[in-house]
Amino acid sequence: MEYNGGAVVAMVGKNCVAIACDKRLGVQAMTISTEFKKIFQATPKTYLGLPGLATDVQTLAEKFRFKINMYKLKEEREIEPRTLAHLVSSTLYERRFGPWFTEPVVAGLDKNNNPFICNTDTIGCINFAKDFVVSGTSTNQLYGMCESLWEPDLEPEDLFETISQALMNAVDRDCLAGWGAEVVVITPDKIITRTLKSRMD
Amino acid sequence: MAGSYDRALTIFSPDGHLFQVDYALEAVRKGSCVVGVRGKDVVVLGVEKKSVLKLQDDRTVKKICMLDDHVCLAFAGLSADARVLVNKARIECQSHRLTVEDAVSIEYITRHIAGVQQKYTQSGGVRPFGISTLIMGFDSDKVPKLYQTDPSGVYSAWKANAIGRSSKTVREFLEKNYKEDMTRDETVKLAIKSLLEVVQTGAKNIEIALMGEDAKIQRLELSEVEKVVAEIEAENEKEKEKAKPSQQQ
Amino acid sequence: METLFGITGKDFVIAAYDTKAVASITMMKIGEDKSRNLNDHSVMLYSGEPGDGVHFAEYIERNVKLNGIRHGLEMSPKAVASFARRELADSLRSRKPYSVNLLIAGYDVKKDTPALYWMDHLASSAEVPFAAHGYGAYYCLSMMDRYHRPDITEEEGIKLLKMCINELRTRMILNMPDFVAKVVTKEGIRVVQL
Repeated sequence: MEYNGGAVVAMVGKNCVAIACDKRLGVQAMTISTEFKKIFQATPKTYLGLPGLATDVQTLAEKFRFKINMYKLKEEREIEPRTLAHLVSSTLYERRFGPWFTEPVVAGLDKNNNPFICNTDTIGCINFAKDFVVSGTSTNQLYGMCESLWEPDLEPEDLFETISQALMNAVDRDCLAGWGAEVVVITPDKIITRTLKSRMD
Repeated sequence: MAGSYDRALTIFSPDGHLFQVDYALEAVRKGSCVVGVRGKDVVVLGVEKKSVLKLQDDRTVKKICMLDDHVCLAFAGLSADARVLVNKARIECQSHRLTVEDAVSIEYITRHIAGVQQKYTQSGGVRPFGISTLIMGFDSDKVPKLYQTDPSGVYSAWKANAIGRSSKTVREFLEKNYKEDMTRDETVKLAIKSLLEVVQTGAKNIEIALMGEDAKIQRLELSEVEKVVAEIEAENEKEKEKAKPSQQQ
Repeated sequence: METLFGITGKDFVIAAYDTKAVASITMMKIGEDKSRNLNDHSVMLYSGEPGDGVHFAEYIERNVKLNGIRHGLEMSPKAVASFARRELADSLRSRKPYSVNLLIAGYDVKKDTPALYWMDHLASSAEVPFAAHGYGAYYCLSMMDRYHRPDITEEEGIKLLKMCINELRTRMILNMPDFVAKVVTKEGIRVVQL
């Protein structure tokens, strides 16, 4: 987790969810890229965040893209965020004794447009949350920020502001994360994707 | 008829035949005609292209395949079998480069292909490849090479040869008209001329690929083939003109 | 101690490697080729465990060539990098993983853009405007940060590379012999002695 660095956070709002990540890829203290995305669109209304060891982030992103596409072809419908969470969990637990070094986050709206967020540990133990989940190298800072900024029933734009401030201020206190951020707010009728500029040092 | 000797592939008939192999050769004889001609420093493959259906994309019908940068293969027989064999040959070409750093020699890859074909005449649960192939290319010695393989796994080197439909007629034509040390144009012309023995529809059903000393494959455009065909037809007319008066006398 | 560099520009990529072959603390040879041309428009540089690099790069090279012959189409640098990454990632979780760092420099003929991929021995890959591997990276990434622009010309690129090499020659405790650069453009791959 500390080798490449990176952070992901997700939050619930009123009929919407938001997920955000930083864009740094490093090798310990040396930054290699500032365009390394850690969140991936799973379905039109679900995103998957994968902070952790970069190689596993990429391998798992490919693996989940495959599994999600296969699910869609077999079931002829999009996978629900809750189902995706269990798919993630079982995929990770397959490697119980030699895990993928990533702590995934799932955020999305289910078929009734109810918000859903959760995260898991490296071996797939799911943590369902009603408010926010954090993951990656900046978890401590993110918990502090989210705990103080988050409030229930935020509208999409307010949720965007909250998650952005939480992430940016958290990664500024983390050497291994930062260098720009990407925020996605999922609402029933549209998805807002914004790229944030942040401190580049 | 053949009794039960053609049930299992790996069983000889009392007179020493493997019937499945004979049937494979029959499939080859039904396939479209392919010729190969070797010149002084050039080697040419020509195939009779079946006319494609009106709505078919003719680029997807591939009768002349690259095996490696310097090797080219054309086949007569079942295209589906050829695809599998070509794939195996291409892998062998790259694998050979990977293990010994050198490109395959034409004889080596021919032997490999023939080896694969042979294996399919002697193993259980399989049937032979229903194809014969002509393989052309250049080794590092810059001498043009032309080889043929059969469903039985036999392979041999040739100066010029034909396989597939009416190959006997074409081969006889080649035997009559082959000259040593032909130039590029002469070689191409001989290949097309021999194909015209069996291809009635002319240039649009002929595909030509050739390789010069640079060992780069070159495919002739339709217009180029048409030009040569026109040339040949003009010559034939002249021959006839010459022949006519003598008949009258 | 091995160093690899890569710089993209407007219509080219430069990939450079030092020509040292090292075993432990001994320099065995100068003039080692640490690159393989994967096809007409992409080149792979490798460093790390001696032997692993050559074997892995040649394995990728052969597969990329095979793919080209099979489909009659050249693989794009992105396709090459994805394929190499997957092979390396699979090997990472095998009994004996390859221990190689890679730079894949290529020119995407279809999109008409240069591309440079950085990949480490864990198979983390990223498309980057410039990159470096080895201890040299610690000295040179900051230099590239300062002087690199996306619209840099080839001459400026070579100049930047020479600045980086000079920095290594003055600051690194080790002898820094010749570097070789491979320039990839729309026209193909070209070797430049530095």
